[in-house]
Amino acid sequence: MTSPALEVLDVSRRFGGLLAVDQVSFTIAQGGLSALIGPNGAGKTTLFNAITNLFPPSAGEVRFLGESLAGLAGDRIARLGLIRTFQSARVFPGMTVLENALAGACLHVRAHPAAQMLRLPGARAEERKLRGKAEALLDLIGLLAFRDSAATDLPMGAQKNLEVVRALMANPRMLLLDEPAAGLNDSETADLAALLTAIRDTGVTIMVVEHNMSLVMGIADQVIVLDAGKLVAVGSPTEIQANRRVIEAYVGAEG
Amino acid sequence: MSGFLQIVIGGLSQGGVFAAVALGFSLVYRVTGVVNLSQGAFCVLGAMAMYYFQVVFGWPTPIAAFAAIVSVVAFGLLVGVSTFVPAVSTLPVSSTLVLTAGLLTFLEGVALIVWGNQPYALPPFSGEAPVVFGALRIPTQGLWLAGGTVAMIAALWRLVYRTSLGRALQACAENATAARLMGIDTKRMMLISFGLAAAIGATSGLLVAPITSLQFDSGSFFTTSGFIAVAIGGMGSFAGSVIGGLTLGVAEQLAAYYVSSLFANTLALLLLLAMLLWRPNGLFSSGPARRVDVRSEAPVHRAVIRLPDGRMIGLALALVIGLGVMPLLPLPNGVLPSLAISMILFIAVLGLDVLMGWAGQVSLGQAGFMAIGGYTAAILATTYDWSPLAGVAAGVALALVCALLLSLVTGKLRGHYLALATLTFGLLVDSLTVGLIDLTGGPSGLVGIPSFGVAGFDFDTPASMYWLALALAAIFVVLLEGGMRSKFGRDLQAVRTDQLAAAALGVNVGRVKTTALCISSALASLSGSLYAFNFHFLSPEMVATPRSFEMIAMLVLGGEGTLVGGLFGALALTLLPTLVQGLALYKTMAEGALLVGTFLLLPEGLFGRFVLAIARWGKAGSMAQGKLPT
Ligand SMILES: Nc1ncnc2c1ncn2[C@@H]1O[C@H](COP(=O)(O)OP(=O)(O)OP(=O)(O)O)[C@@H](O)[C@H]1O
Ligand SMILES: [Mg+2]
Repeated sequence: MTSPALEVLDVSRRFGGLLAVDQVSFTIAQGGLSALIGPNGAGKTTLFNAITNLFPPSAGEVRFLGESLAGLAGDRIARLGLIRTFQSARVFPGMTVLENALAGACLHVRAHPAAQMLRLPGARAEERKLRGKAEALLDLIGLLAFRDSAATDLPMGAQKNLEVVRALMANPRMLLLDEPAAGLNDSETADLAALLTAIRDTGVTIMVVEHNMSLVMGIADQVIVLDAGKLVAVGSPTEIQANRRVIEAYVGAEG
Repeated sequence: MSGFLQIVIGGLSQGGVFAAVALGFSLVYRVTGVVNLSQGAFCVLGAMAMYYFQVVFGWPTPIAAFAAIVSVVAFGLLVGVSTFVPAVSTLPVSSTLVLTAGLLTFLEGVALIVWGNQPYALPPFSGEAPVVFGALRIPTQGLWLAGGTVAMIAALWRLVYRTSLGRALQACAENATAARLMGIDTKRMMLISFGLAAAIGATSGLLVAPITSLQFDSGSFFTTSGFIAVAIGGMGSFAGSVIGGLTLGVAEQLAAYYVSSLFANTLALLLLLAMLLWRPNGLFSSGPARRVDVRSEAPVHRAVIRLPDGRMIGLALALVIGLGVMPLLPLPNGVLPSLAISMILFIAVLGLDVLMGWAGQVSLGQAGFMAIGGYTAAILATTYDWSPLAGVAAGVALALVCALLLSLVTGKLRGHYLALATLTFGLLVDSLTVGLIDLTGGPSGLVGIPSFGVAGFDFDTPASMYWLALALAAIFVVLLEGGMRSKFGRDLQAVRTDQLAAAALGVNVGRVKTTALCISSALASLSGSLYAFNFHFLSPEMVATPRSFEMIAMLVLGGEGTLVGGLFGALALTLLPTLVQGLALYKTMAEGALLVGTFLLLPEGLFGRFVLAIARWGKAGSMAQGKLPT
């Protein structure tokens, strides 16, 4: 039996007096595309931060592919194949779009730094291959024409897309995406949805925070609902749409 | 026992000044979030103004003191409004540190022009006769200093906690955005805090000048001591500043008496490094509890400085050939040796660029590694008859060991604390080069260093030294350029701007920083050895902390993150004083002014600007693709 991709077991995260995530448990099967939804301030980003030990859980445990993440530093978690993006796009300033994409591949460069300094043929071939891959991904998301622009010159939505490309360059086994569609218009959102399903179909497990319900209901096979730090419901999109507590959480928050 | 008390009293009076400087630091830090390294220079300016009003013009002491403080504050406000305040609102923390270091250099330069380079002492306010308590003799000026410090603390405390201006200052400290929303003019508050800090500096300066004679560059001493004091006490804490200052003063006096005056500094600095390792926020870390945020600094916008691939080779060849033929041209007297010096310094600046420009780690102690390389190679070659090459290798190895040890302390530190740790390291090396007289020759230096030579060939002329340094620099530039254009360079840049995002992609942030520190220390060490072989002489001040600041100025002037840029900075700051003889006096001031001016007006530096222009020119043909998506 293969272990689930991600197991979140009774995870809580406290900020002073505020319990931002409150005893949340769920599992995500390998190869699935799960959506994490909930009103503003529900604790979605905090949950991501707890999973990746940016703000480690105050209680509970997270397992990735059966392995506990407790106490692992951010780069160790990335090494296991769990890659995240951030809610406010965090492309690297001072680097071009292409360089930002390539930065994502840092774990997959085999050439020794000395070989790169000396520009040995092996190192250059590897660099060309990575560059080709980055350009193909940038092309897929419509950013290839801007490969040599400063990444921070891109509009917010495009920066978030670039962050997805950068995460993909890391060959993740699982992706955690925090509101990747924020700042995109309808057709760009549709492109992103197509890209996400395509990534999922290559076997990468995805968990995505998203506010756009039609996007979520269209692509996710599992929806996890959070409200005020607590898990409200977990289920298939149709189950969630019919769930009274979910509707209340949203109406309560927006009404 | 009374001997011990006498020492403690001396330490307390010395510590009073440190405490006052630390108070100035804390005040500005609380309001602006920036450590203003120029703080110590205001002490010297205060003493200098006092000297003119009291000794030269013969005004009565109280009037002279008042006039001195007012004029220093006025000057401080001018400097603050034109440089500090605009910089604080636009630059990231690490750059503001370098900028205030530039201000410190600038103000020292001003003091040098006005005051010359001899030490001055002021007459004590109430005569030379000390007050006698039994066996204790307390100089009256010490009482003035103690009283003045207490009065300043009381006034500051009242101002901050009991007035509406104080509440506004505090509001800025807690949350600048919220303060702005409440209608507080935060820029004005920054300026006011800067002016108040200048007043504190001037007052303590004119109080201490009768006890310790001051000269134009005493400002660095006050700044570093005050910086150490706040680090002990906790940045931003008023009580901590005072306790930190007094502790430091007493510890230094005791160490001077019971151990050796040569190592008084060394012990204090070791204490500080241990402190940074054990409790990086100081004993009384205070200040408002800020919201822990995912991002440690506001995002910065940086220009992307890249030469188009096709033009690289041509430009590089032109540059190397152009530089290579220089010694063959009929150059004015003294230019060739200056060229050799610039090229040797450039090797160290190149390393500093990897560390500061690419990895974003401020280092105020780079000269420390030059000293390690210089002294190791020189001592081995003179006293132990090692071949110069073996000496250089030993210097680099020792520098690498020190870099690894230092990275144990600096690994977890960022921003101010990182700068402080590197500064401490540099000062520690300074104090050792002065103190280990048997080994280094002490303050008067090491003489009789042979020329550099390999395989029977001696590099004993400026031209040969220049060519050697040029060849080495060219090799390093080519290698580093290769590294920077691949994974290693991308990792460095990722760490520079966003460590958390870098780690989330799998970058081992600690290892990247350590590697950058090792590269920079190895190059600095090599540069230091060549420097010693070039002059056949090495003294502590040739490779002391002001040299660290000078190299930062060279780097910033040339352009951070450009590798080659540092060469133009090194050439400018070394050649100009040689070419224009009358300029030597103005060198320090010009260095500071150039550093500050570049930061504010030309953030990408001379070479960076040149590259941007070329890149834009190259792109002009293919502008069709240029529109960004919306
Ligand atoms: N670093 C922090 N320090 C203190 N409180 C925090 C921190 N990060 C988040 N919080 C609090 O935790 C709660 C959950 O925030 P979180 O950002 O996780 O919500 P979210 O579901 O991602 O909301 P949004 O949809 O707006 O992104 C909020 O009340 C927030 O103020
Ligand atoms: Mg969020």
